[in-house]
Amino acid sequence: MTLEFKNAYLKNSCTLIGRNEHEIEIKTDIILNDYYNGEKSVEQAEASFQEKTIKGLLKKEKLTIENIDVLVSGDLQSQLFASSFAARKINIPFLGIYSACSTFTQGLITASNLLDNKVNNVIINTSAHNLASEKQFRFPIEYGALRKKVNTFTATGSVSTLITKTPSNIRIEYGTIGSIVDLGYTDSNNFGACMAPSAAKTIYEHLKDTKRGADYYDIILTGDLGIYGVEILKEYLKKQYKIEVNNINDAGSLLFNENNLDKIAGGSGPICLPLILFEKILKGNYKKILIVGTGSLHSKTSCNLGESIPSISHAVSLEVLK
Amino acid sequence: MKLEEYKKIVNKNSGKEDKFKNVFTSFIIGGIVGVICQAFCIFLNKEIGIKLEDASMYTTIMLIVVSSIFTGLGFFDKVVSFAKCGLIVPTTGFAHAMTSAAMDHKSEGPIKGIGSNMFKLAGSIIIYGIVIAFFLALIKGVIK
Repeated sequence: MTLEFKNAYLKNSCTLIGRNEHEIEIKTDIILNDYYNGEKSVEQAEASFQEKTIKGLLKKEKLTIENIDVLVSGDLQSQLFASSFAARKINIPFLGIYSACSTFTQGLITASNLLDNKVNNVIINTSAHNLASEKQFRFPIEYGALRKKVNTFTATGSVSTLITKTPSNIRIEYGTIGSIVDLGYTDSNNFGACMAPSAAKTIYEHLKDTKRGADYYDIILTGDLGIYGVEILKEYLKKQYKIEVNNINDAGSLLFNENNLDKIAGGSGPICLPLILFEKILKGNYKKILIVGTGSLHSKTSCNLGESIPSISHAVSLEVLK
Repeated sequence: MKLEEYKKIVNKNSGKEDKFKNVFTSFIIGGIVGVICQAFCIFLNKEIGIKLEDASMYTTIMLIVVSSIFTGLGFFDKVVSFAKCGLIVPTTGFAHAMTSAAMDHKSEGPIKGIGSNMFKLAGSIIIYGIVIAFFLALIKGVIK
């Protein structure tokens, strides 16, 4: 299902990297290089990252929190700990969303829809913490559970984005709400393979609904399939939907230094896609951009039950006007 | 697309593990741990005069204490990532799993945090260790 947005614009963003793991090469607004940020636990630290980026964004835009109508936030922790606890100090209407790594695109679609109502300014917040998510989804952190080459690494940080009705130079054109895809694949180490079919389906539906070809876009940015997942996606798109794409790139494979990609398959987490979008793609020379957030909707319990991994992808197309 | 067909695409495009290298590293490092422990055991037996049965128990305890301390100091997980099963299969892996879980949940307090989470992974080893020991003892008793 594809929705058209008439008056939604990306205004500004504030990006934060909590800790520079595996030599993240992009420059962000705030670099802490600390897992804890003075907090007692990693979970609370993640909430403090969100507070920092919201404040940073308001400062950049010379706004106060009263100017913001709605806050839409998401993270990877149970019951959206980081989002809810960062929002409790900010007394404005709040929507918490969970969609794993596609949280950012789900947030964009939600926020852009709100703008068709009486809403003028929305902040979308996504955050992730490597240690908190390892604890949540895998084994104890210090256990150093053996990583496979196909494993991706959750990046630590937070990104706040301001979406407004007032025109800016990045317009949000369309949003495609994806459906859950599950081919029966069960390897929770290989997220790229789990999510590639849903990314393919969403891309196919987006192109069909908008009557565009894949080469209409200067870049199709997925987030985040990793270096192997993006190759799987290309081949799957070709075999299943007869779509050949050459302009596809993946946020996860662009995040870390290339030298580290022989041990891990790239970055992942809700912040990976917005980080690369704001700090790399929008600073480059791209005019027509399609971002596809891909999320794996498993939990530790679902994997222990032997269930296969359902995945979801939401796509948003952006147009750079100037 | 059928799962089987999809798995073919996945296997073609995914990075392969170097199994031979992993097995070799694990074998060598696991072997080194074994040699050190045997030397320690002989040292306790011959030099200090502890009975051989007791000496092997003390050796196991030494292994657990040392690896727990190393985990606590924060570098053991990196060594394990390199050594793989060479350090996971010996008691070092057991101690490592226990200490890491305890460290993970330290911020949630001594009762609901450390106490209830410490044996998250190690609990299975203890439970099934006891169950297997019971059956082996039973078999031994019957044979005698």
